[in-house]
Order: sequence, then C-alpha cells, then structure tokens
Amino acid sequence: MSVWIAVAGVALSTFLLRASFIVFIDPHRFPGWFRQALKFVPPSVLAAIVVPGLLMPEGALDLRPTNARLLAGIVAIVASLRLRNAMATIAAGMVALWGLQWVLARLA
Amino acid sequence: MAPVLLGAVPFAFVAGVAATAAGMTPAQGIALSALSFSGIAQLIASQLIAVHSPVVVTVAAAFVVSLRFLMYSASMAPHVAHLDWRWRVLLSFLMTDQSFAASVRHYADAGDTRHRHWFFLGAALTLYTFWQASVVAGVLAGAQVPARWSLDFAVVLTFIALLVPAVRTRPDLAAAVVAAALSLAAAGLPYRLALVVASIGGIGVGLAIESRGRR
Repeated sequence: MSVWIAVAGVALSTFLLRASFIVFIDPHRFPGWFRQALKFVPPSVLAAIVVPGLLMPEGALDLRPTNARLLAGIVAIVASLRLRNAMATIAAGMVALWGLQWVLARLA
Repeated sequence: MAPVLLGAVPFAFVAGVAATAAGMTPAQGIALSALSFSGIAQLIASQLIAVHSPVVVTVAAAFVVSLRFLMYSASMAPHVAHLDWRWRVLLSFLMTDQSFAASVRHYADAGDTRHRHWFFLGAALTLYTFWQASVVAGVLAGAQVPARWSLDFAVVLTFIALLVPAVRTRPDLAAAVVAAALSLAAAGLPYRLALVVASIGGIGVGLAIESRGRR
C-alpha cells in the first residue's frame, strides 16, 4: 500500500512542478532573483547526479585509472562538447565503457 | 526527434528494470512510469522504495530531482499562454528534458508561433509511447538483464548529454562544480539528501557569482 502512495506522490509532484508556471502562476509575479535562481537548477541538479555516478560507482570515491565509468564519462563529456548531440554522447560513452571493461578484465 | 527516441529507449528500459529490482509489482512499476513520465524521478523513487524509505522521503527526493521542471515551465509559459487550460495541462503533463530542448529550438525559429503546440504535442506523444513501451519491457525483463552489460550507465550518460549543453556561462559552471563537490562530500547522508544539499549549494553559488559579476 505504501508503494502505491509513493507512486501517487511522485506523480503528483512531477506534474505540479511541470504545470507550475504553465497552468497555475504567472512567472512575472515572482521576484527577479527567483527567476535567476531557476536558471541554475539544471546545471546544479544534473551535476549532482552525474558526478557521483562517475567518481563513486561502487559507493566510495574511486579516482584510480581502473575506474572504467570515470574514463567512459570523460569520453562522453568530450563527445558532448565536440558533437553537441545527445545520441552520439550516449553511444560514445556506452561503447567506451564496454571497451574499457573488456580491456581491464584482461589486464586483471 | 529520432536521436532522442534512440537515447530514451535504453534509459526507459533501465528505469523499468530498476522498478522490478526494487520489489515493485509490474502494475506499480508501470503506473509509476505512466503517471510521472520522468526517468530520473522513476529511478530515484525506485532506489528509495527498494530500501523501504518512508513515503515522505521518497516523494521529497523525486521532488528535488524534478525541480528543473520549474525552470522549463517558466520558459515555456509565455509560448503557450494563449491556449486554453486543458491544452496547458496536457502539455505540462508531457513535458520532458528532451521535449523542452526540442521546443526551445523550435520556438526560437522565426515565423508564426501560435500553432507550434501541435509540434510539441506530436513530439511529446511519440516520446511517451516509446518511453512506456521500453519501461514495460524493462519491468518484465527485470532481474534477467546481466549486470555486466552495465545498462544502468545509460542513465548517467543521458544526464551528461543534458548537463554539458546546460553549462553555458561562468556562473553555470560554478554552480555545476560546487554541486558536484558537495554531492561527493555529502555522499554519506541518508535518503539521497546529498542531492538536496548539492543542488541548493550549486544554485546559491551560481546566483552569488552572477550578482557579483553585474556590479
């Protein structure tokens, strides 16, 4: 039962955030600093999701050159800067990870 | 839209696998996806449901990772203000990182913009269909997907593909770097609280640097 309540709660919060300014409130009724702050939400939230996924793949900080996810992530970042294309970024990162895992498994 | 669809398929599949791995029934996993239509909210909710977190914690964590929708909503609002409320509810429900990015480019084009909500609707409904079909496949495949395929890495890669273009100015970069550092420093906190601390810290630093630059 509590899972169903969580599902409803997650659905409701995602909808209310999406609908906030489109359906309910005029963004111009908010102070300027608030609209400024909104600009920094994507870089902050996305970095807080991405960086632990690369540097803490097993839950502890891993900066060794055997951290395949860190290296594959760097490949993806370079691909994104160069190509500006989401699909190419994902493909480059995934292929890099599989290649690195294959190589590391043979070195170990 | 085609590349966006190709990227969404593995991501949605991973979100479906995660729901089953968290102990959710197929109906719960599919309902979570059909009603929230947000990969990261689905993944975070699944992770917290897996460890039997209180409902309030699960919902709060999904709320924080979805805060970027506030910014999308504020930017989209002027373009759809002329539509009646049913249209605006529908377009809100279907908004994603991908459809927002596509519409921003579309609205930036010159010309008549009054009928562009049809473009947005078509793109969003196509993505919704592909997304839900892949989630269902992931929910049903569940634990049969071998861990050594590392399919979960598609999630991190999707966010790299969104993060890099989102960093355009120095204050953006400062916000991202500070949020990244805080997310590592606070990683020991329970209930994914590191994400909350890191996001607030990043936003604060971005604002501070921007306001200093203007003086």
